[in-house]
Amino acid sequence: MGARENILKRIRASRGVGPEPTQSERTAVEAHIREHPVGTRPDLDWPLKDRFREQCVRMSSTIDEVATLADVPRAVAEYLRENGLPARAVAWAELAALDWSTSGVVVEDRPATGDDLVGITSVHLAIAETGTLMVLSGPSTPAATSLLPETHIAVVPMDRMVVAMEEAWALTRGTHPDLPRAVNFISGPSRTADIEGQLQLGAHGPFRVHVIVVG
Amino acid sequence: MTTTTQPPRSTGHSTGVPAAPARNGTGTFKQRAHDKLHDAKVQRAMRNFNLAGARARAVDEVPNFEDIRVTGAAIRDRALANLDVWLERFEREATRRGTRVHWAESHADINRIVVEIARAANVRKIIKSKSMVSEESHLNDALEAEGFQVVETDLGEYIVQLARETPSHIIAPAIHKSRDDVADLFQEHHRTPRKDSAADLTMEARKFLREHFLSADMGISGSNFLIAETGSTFIVTNEGNGRMTTTLPRVHVAITGIEKVVPTLEDVSCLMRLLARSATGQTISNYISMNTGPKQAGDSDGPEEAHVIIVDAGRSRLLGSDMQEALRCIRCGACMNHCPVYQNIGGHAYGWVYPGPIGSVLTPNYIGLENALDLPNAATLCNQCGVVCPVKIPLPELMRRLREKQVERGLRPWQERVGLKAWAWAAERPAIYGWLTWVAARIGRLAGGQRRLIHRLPGNGWTQERDMPAPEGATFRELYAKRQAGRR
Amino acid sequence: MKVGLFVTCLVDLVRPRIGFSALRLLEGAGCEVVVPGRQTCCGQPAHNSGDRAAALALARKVVREFDDCDYLVTPSGSCGGMIRTHYADLARDEPALKAAVDRLAARTYELTDFLVNVLGVQSVPGRFEGTVTYHDSCSGLRELGVKRQPRALLGMVPGLEIREMATPEYCCGFGGTFAVKYGEISGRIAERKCEDIATTGAGTVVLGDLGCMLNIEGRLRRRGDTTTRVLHVAEVLAGPDE
Repeated sequence: MGARENILKRIRASRGVGPEPTQSERTAVEAHIREHPVGTRPDLDWPLKDRFREQCVRMSSTIDEVATLADVPRAVAEYLRENGLPARAVAWAELAALDWSTSGVVVEDRPATGDDLVGITSVHLAIAETGTLMVLSGPSTPAATSLLPETHIAVVPMDRMVVAMEEAWALTRGTHPDLPRAVNFISGPSRTADIEGQLQLGAHGPFRVHVIVVG
Repeated sequence: MTTTTQPPRSTGHSTGVPAAPARNGTGTFKQRAHDKLHDAKVQRAMRNFNLAGARARAVDEVPNFEDIRVTGAAIRDRALANLDVWLERFEREATRRGTRVHWAESHADINRIVVEIARAANVRKIIKSKSMVSEESHLNDALEAEGFQVVETDLGEYIVQLARETPSHIIAPAIHKSRDDVADLFQEHHRTPRKDSAADLTMEARKFLREHFLSADMGISGSNFLIAETGSTFIVTNEGNGRMTTTLPRVHVAITGIEKVVPTLEDVSCLMRLLARSATGQTISNYISMNTGPKQAGDSDGPEEAHVIIVDAGRSRLLGSDMQEALRCIRCGACMNHCPVYQNIGGHAYGWVYPGPIGSVLTPNYIGLENALDLPNAATLCNQCGVVCPVKIPLPELMRRLREKQVERGLRPWQERVGLKAWAWAAERPAIYGWLTWVAARIGRLAGGQRRLIHRLPGNGWTQERDMPAPEGATFRELYAKRQAGRR
Repeated sequence: MKVGLFVTCLVDLVRPRIGFSALRLLEGAGCEVVVPGRQTCCGQPAHNSGDRAAALALARKVVREFDDCDYLVTPSGSCGGMIRTHYADLARDEPALKAAVDRLAARTYELTDFLVNVLGVQSVPGRFEGTVTYHDSCSGLRELGVKRQPRALLGMVPGLEIREMATPEYCCGFGGTFAVKYGEISGRIAERKCEDIATTGAGTVVLGDLGCMLNIEGRLRRRGDTTTRVLHVAEVLAGPDE
């Protein structure tokens, strides 16, 4: 661990303080983490759902709205049909468990591979400020399902929608004292402007992100 | 267009910094700038490049953006003030979550550590999401020399990798390349029929890179931030290659500088509001991938090994110095997007990893003042960079301080030193100064001729690209003295 | 009100008429104007070249020469910015000088800023027939907040119409010794500025700093534009000397 000690010593020497952190320095650091103050923010005083919808569109997501979770299969089927997409998808367990029998969409409960064209997920939370989906990795919520397919359909229950990222952390600290391996924030389809600055969707991840708000 | 010449220069620097990459042009800064100014393709690309307008529109939507900048700068300053304590906190939390934390004192250390990790894990193919620190250490060359296959996956990075070049911008690496250049490169390297449109080229890259993503053993990325609270890495991309790199291969290695630590999740939330708006004018980047430790029990995806390499390589020397503010940088690129010099010469002329104003500050600090004499001087000090910097780095002031250090260390050319001293000597002596300007005003007037324009001045610096309007012929001081005498 | 006019070294040597225009504007607005006769340069060329000692010596000289004035006014955002925002750091190790610098900095104004924000002038003597476009000098704009002031004053000139360029705040490429040391790059930046000016179709470009003026006029002439006039804002506001 020579490099580690050398770097930390060098930092302390540059700072002009003694070779070892003092107890009060460590206490101050822990106190800031415990308090985790929210800094200056923009005006966040808008209707939650309207803001979310507006920002989703801005980030090139499409958005739909249904009354209950039971309406999701029909909404998914319509979206796939209207966009000429295959009526076959992989989904997270909680969504694969819905009644897809009359929708005409074949849904499998398994993680996406590179060959799957449609992936259906729910969200841990959705962030209105930026039209963002927050998804956590886990045994029943594989990260690949929102990443590898060309089309990502995300189901967002209204009670999972929060104002901004800080509110998302506040809730997540309660539900996940240890964060899962991956916390992913997704705001619209994958994009690049690396060739002559021309915007192209679908650089690596999904070409399409379709959000279905429930309730 | 670009040739590989010039062996790496030894910098004699204690951290063993490699020399400026020669692949992007040769010779001095001035020669490289000259070449780029006369390279029609680069000029067309630079004319076409405009992220400043998008930033302005995005910032206009947030009336208190200036206050958020102040908060952002304070967040970065808090981390830097107790940097070692925050790093320890990050390390403890990351280790608890199963991440292996490595420390690299030098660029050579980075390459050695990555090679060791790759060997131990029987890695053959490596995919990379963008990491500017790995550009500092020429990591790709080091890995290829050890027999590993390395594929850059950010589209811009992939393009410059195929071209055997280095990035010319920190967030738009191939901005100097035309669509035609990319079409040629893809046709040659992919052995496919030539594509013309940016859309078709992007799709072709997607297809080829997807195969690499799915078959790679190891993913290497940077990390925009390290979160001390949770021991997480934090990777921001628009393409999603950061997510791919951290999700699919069985080993993930994040490489980042010691200065990138941020205390809390709230702190990073604030910085994200600044980063995307300042970089591309987006309210948020498309993907933020925050990773904490390796794959957990029951997970179907995610790496089995998670590594973080924390890099010093010259950074710790800036702490506590009059250069510390440069360590606030969150690598948005706004300073170069708004720089009149960068907009004309592009990134490669700067000669090292970081171009534009932040590069003109970081490069002399990282590779040695004497190895980058031009950079702090090649700026108009217009402060367009300073007013757009999301974390309020006083870039012109830092460049000016570097100029002072060059003078203090006697690194300026003797002609300049003598000229400046002579001028300052005279300017402190009004009678002599008055006489000199009396003469100069008359000589200048004569030299201007009928059109009152001087076409060539000694040294030709000024008159290379423009004329000099001739003086009127008498100085204000003498005319004013006459006027006052006449009134008496 | 005793106003010290800091003419600037470039006006002194190259365009004395701008100094007299500033003088007429200030006297016309009722100021008692003094022009300290030993003034030379604010020290910015040394400061920007990293020669702190030379810059400090000249700062000391300016502070001494203008100490007894109620205000220091200068027809240059660049020199005004130097005195107002950079002298304090030069004097940081000398408490007595630092105090004098702080006093002077607080009383230092760029000409149009002074006319609008201190004197509150409501009319100007100038007359002008035609369309002008205004170039914001970097130091004036970003160190002193000079943006609205010259436009407000130009708006008082009968017959004058302002037509903004696409990027009036974009640097002209002067940058002091940068223009000489990196003439080629500087010239290209100036070229972009000239293109922007040409696109407005305005017959005249007006600005508030002699450095920008020499640079823009020099580039306009080199690119073959012999008709677009380049005028200091003081010349337009003051009108011809009669």
